[in-house]
Amino acid sequence: MNLLNPENQQQGDFIDLLNRSGYAWPDATGMPAIDKASLTQGTTVLAFHYKDGVLVAGDRRATAGNAIMYERCDKVIPIDDYSLMAIAGVPATAFEMARVLSHNFEYYRRSQLQSLSTEGKVRALSRLLKDNMGLAMQGVGAVSPIFATYNLKSDAPMIYFYDLLGAQFEIRTHTATGSGSPVIRGVLEHEDLWGQNPLNQRSQEEASLLAIRLLQTAGRFDSATGQARPDDNIFPIIACITAKGYRFLPEEEVASLFQQAIQRT
Amino acid sequence: MFEEPFRWLEAISTRHSYVQEKLKKGQPVIAVPYQYGTLMLGFSPQPGKIFELYDRIALGGLGHPADVERLRMTLLDMAHLEGFNRSEKDVTIARLLQFGIAPSLKQNFEEVVRAPYLIQLLLMEIDFNNQASFFRVNYDGHWETFKKGAVIAGDTQLSDALEEKIESTDFTSLSLDDALLKACRIWEEAKKDIADEESDDPALTLKEAFEKWTLEAAVLSTDTERRALYRSLSPDEIEKLKMACLS
Repeated sequence: MNLLNPENQQQGDFIDLLNRSGYAWPDATGMPAIDKASLTQGTTVLAFHYKDGVLVAGDRRATAGNAIMYERCDKVIPIDDYSLMAIAGVPATAFEMARVLSHNFEYYRRSQLQSLSTEGKVRALSRLLKDNMGLAMQGVGAVSPIFATYNLKSDAPMIYFYDLLGAQFEIRTHTATGSGSPVIRGVLEHEDLWGQNPLNQRSQEEASLLAIRLLQTAGRFDSATGQARPDDNIFPIIACITAKGYRFLPEEEVASLFQQAIQRT
Repeated sequence: MFEEPFRWLEAISTRHSYVQEKLKKGQPVIAVPYQYGTLMLGFSPQPGKIFELYDRIALGGLGHPADVERLRMTLLDMAHLEGFNRSEKDVTIARLLQFGIAPSLKQNFEEVVRAPYLIQLLLMEIDFNNQASFFRVNYDGHWETFKKGAVIAGDTQLSDALEEKIESTDFTSLSLDDALLKACRIWEEAKKDIADEESDDPALTLKEAFEKWTLEAAVLSTDTERRALYRSLSPDEIEKLKMACLS
């Protein structure tokens, strides 16, 4: 590539830059079938609005078929200072999507000297999911993400749920995805409607306690969702997004909350 | 022309003079370390002097805005592709310069039938051990590294005077506020040191500079949990500095 060639001037789209430098987002057309049992999969993640922003949480287990492959998987991935992506599905594809997204947002911000709009960020993930449709349809690269971000223009935290083809839905209350999610969706709905407080009125501590309990519950009913293992310092990942950006709860804080959360009342 | 070495040398010499003449009125960009990172600042008639390049790299430019922009985009593309294809830890200024723009700039400058780049660039970086480095790049591809801070200025005398003052100041022990103030004072002192009666410099004092131009300033701060260390100074911070400078 001639580095000083004027034709190399960018418009802020990192995916275009990747394409021009020879990188191609995977295309499943004509690919032979892949043994799904050999692929690692990530499972339960959830997100909901609480008083100060949105909380995003996930368990730590990655499985391949019936085998537990890894118990320290990070399924909540920072994308930029104000955005997180929580993943259920194939980590290989999801991590790659997160890398592309992260570079895309930062590249846009640095090259255009302004942040990409929330709408632009939401569409960027949609585009990657759509382009990954072939693999997702084969069931080998399926990713079901939750995208959470803080919209600085409207001063509001936002959660988006996607289907495999890239359709995005703004979530005003709560969402969950992954194989352990069906058993906790009902609990989330019940808590929001008839719990002590609606979810969006809960403090960060109350929201975190609920997230821990939900993931413990999902782990009891779904073998692909890992429960916390305090003896090995394995706890769920919990992160919050507020007007100040994202923040992951430190492990010691989650450990302490975990002890509180699992007490029978 | 190339069959006659003398004519080529003469052309190169003329080219140096041409570019230096064009750069002469460019206001300096100063980069220095401070207690928790590095600081870059410069006065300019319009925004477009200091930029974020990558997570731990910032760029200051002087010269023709279109040329600065083109090189900024080239460095930006290279840094992001490298960071994506390999790792963020593989993106360093030394590699971007040595294998990227320096050879291209040299080639461009020596091809005397093409228009030369009218630029000087200043880059600063904080590595993963939190050590600061500064790099100065010339329009002909020549580049130098510095540890205690660096400067680019169209006027060679001013550049030398500023460099001397930066070299003799221990910026690493200063807070951000103090480093900012000190850098501004150095700018003013250096201007005064080299001023002569025939000078047509439109601003010799900080008061004049603040009235005439905008001060752009940014830091690479190690005092953050963010992956990207770059932060532009807020209007409030600049106003506070202005008050301190003028008091």
